[in-house]
Amino acid sequence: MKRSAMLRVNEHPILGKRPIRKTVIITVDGNPVEAFEGEPIAAALMAKGIKVFRKTRLRKDPRGVFCAIGQCTDCVMTVDQQPNVRTCITPVKEGMEIRTERG
Amino acid sequence: MIQKQVVVIGGGPAGLSSAIAAAQAGARVTVIDENQRPGGQLFKQIHKFFGSREHYAGRRGIHIGTEMLKEAEALNIEVLLNSVVYGIFEDRTLGVIRDGANLSVRAERVVIATGASENPLVFPGWTLPGVMGAGAAQTMVNLHGVLPGKRCLMVGSGNVGLIVSYQLLQAGADVVAIVEADSKVGGYHVHAEKIRRHGVPILLSHTIREARGKESVEEATLVRLDKNWHPLPGTEQDLQVDFVCLAVGLTPLTELGWMANCRCQSVPGLGGFVLHHNDGMETTVPGIYAAGDCAGVEEASIAMEQGRLAGLSIAESLGLIDRTRSADQRASIQERLKELRRKPAFYDSSADLGNREASTADRASLEPLKVGPGYPTEERFQQGPTAIVECMQEIPCDPCAYVCPRGAISVGRPITKLPHLDTGKCTGCGLCIPGCPGLAIFVVDNTYSPTEALLKLPHEFLPLPKAGEIVEALDRYGRRVTEGRVIKVENPRKFDHTPVVSVVIDKRFSNEVRAVSVRRGRHGR
Amino acid sequence: MAGNEDMIICRCEEVTQAEILEAIRDGATTVSGVKRRTRAGMGLCQGRTCRKVVAKMVVTETGQSAEEVLPSTYRPPVRPVTLGTLANEWDE
Repeated sequence: MKRSAMLRVNEHPILGKRPIRKTVIITVDGNPVEAFEGEPIAAALMAKGIKVFRKTRLRKDPRGVFCAIGQCTDCVMTVDQQPNVRTCITPVKEGMEIRTERG
Repeated sequence: MIQKQVVVIGGGPAGLSSAIAAAQAGARVTVIDENQRPGGQLFKQIHKFFGSREHYAGRRGIHIGTEMLKEAEALNIEVLLNSVVYGIFEDRTLGVIRDGANLSVRAERVVIATGASENPLVFPGWTLPGVMGAGAAQTMVNLHGVLPGKRCLMVGSGNVGLIVSYQLLQAGADVVAIVEADSKVGGYHVHAEKIRRHGVPILLSHTIREARGKESVEEATLVRLDKNWHPLPGTEQDLQVDFVCLAVGLTPLTELGWMANCRCQSVPGLGGFVLHHNDGMETTVPGIYAAGDCAGVEEASIAMEQGRLAGLSIAESLGLIDRTRSADQRASIQERLKELRRKPAFYDSSADLGNREASTADRASLEPLKVGPGYPTEERFQQGPTAIVECMQEIPCDPCAYVCPRGAISVGRPITKLPHLDTGKCTGCGLCIPGCPGLAIFVVDNTYSPTEALLKLPHEFLPLPKAGEIVEALDRYGRRVTEGRVIKVENPRKFDHTPVVSVVIDKRFSNEVRAVSVRRGRHGR
Repeated sequence: MAGNEDMIICRCEEVTQAEILEAIRDGATTVSGVKRRTRAGMGLCQGRTCRKVVAKMVVTETGQSAEEVLPSTYRPPVRPVTLGTLANEWDE
């Protein structure tokens, strides 16, 4: 079992078992990544242990999820050619192309 | 331009409460929320709420959210999701973005119920991926089912920090430590006890100095603080963690109110600038009301009451209800608000367990508990099974008073009174155990056998122990003091996911053991 | 805040603690003033994350009270919105 698979909470003492969801394939910087349809892009990436979503313009610092509710804009990536998309509130769709933003 | 009678901005507990109250009086209400689903913070709150019956006490936040939505639906309240109110203009005209299009909505009455946002804490390395708000971690785990990492450092011991730490444990992460800059725990003590008994250390007078890592958090440095909250050189210690959660307070989201020229005032105790309002929750701009965290960061129960008040006031102002009829309702709400706002106090200040250094036989921490009204006498312990209510802080909470079939637990009013256990009435049945939102009630039977005691404890983790299994028996600090033999695990639907584990242990530890740990390891793998 | 002048305060525009302190010492006495001189608060999140931190720095450096240091004026839109969207009127 891949290490990152342990990051998905498939059974929870209060929430129970995760309902079965449809798997979709998205690409992240050209690489195929499995995700669940409808989950936020950020969740799909974090589940795979991908924490760096972009590099800042001036200092090339790595950034990722900070607020997780669409307010801080740190998690933005280029999605299907559109830049500055807040991945923590944007649901995943089959075939979505996601790119790490640099600046 | 769309005309609406009542528009509520924000579909969290305050917004939904105000919508429901106004709609109950006959108003036509629209709730606008920027998220995919309404409920605000409710759907992340998987723990049982405090407060009283009117606040759905004892119910999990997620279920309260579902209930409120059902009520809203039954009242034909219109709910617009994925819709952002980006501005409030003249004459209560709202600018709304919905489906990528710009909408103008003119409302006769507006409720601003936009909640609050998490505060940042700035330190070297705070921008590294892996450093996030505690609420952010809560969202990832409880809404999206994804852990941000496996080893967490929690910064802040207010209720948010304590509750999210507990929820991270439930989801399978390790909370390596909680650091609190103050010299005492910030949140309710029962929340602190719930995690302490599973081995999470709460380091008082400590803070995070730095987070380090190549591309994301790999390590954090803690430092001890002196009486004046200044770092003490030489006290640094490094922790291997892969995520850091910041639980350092919330700030009301008052932007829309500012724009509409509502007066805001700075109230540090309520999170910063809050929307000023009168007794009926109306702001300084007629027709615009405020409720919930944007009017001051308090509890969900207070948000609900404020929402009710706003809805009621709106209904009155629209002529939908008689002032004399609503006067009674208003008075009850004000009473409950007063009750909910009573400052938590200690029965005995030395019961502040956070200040104690963990020692090998920490009998000292037990003494203050023993004089509490929820603790049986030595004599009573020898007579048969009895409940123990380890609730020593005057917080507004009383569900324990309703769960005992014999009425052995009483709280009364105000609901901040400490629960009193009538051990004469108590049979040790343990129904009170899952009824306590703070998981502060246990049952002990010191008469089980000449050398053994039977303990009944709440256990909200996976894997659940099985009957016959040998488990580690932990004390209030999460230290393994002995082993236990599980004889029964009760998990009926009515316990709402608070299973009760019956475990037999060496009688000498019956005053210490308050948790068990399953040897199989988390999630049974 | 632990001394580390290179530390980022405004995450969106990558404005450092040193730059903000300089702006305050240069004469900025409000959050708006700091914003104009450094761009802190002008980025994608419109100051949502750094506003309170900048305000606290102004309070600490200038000795004003929290009430005196008001957040900078809130202008619509309070959320990131593309111009195309604003222009897309929806008739209902």
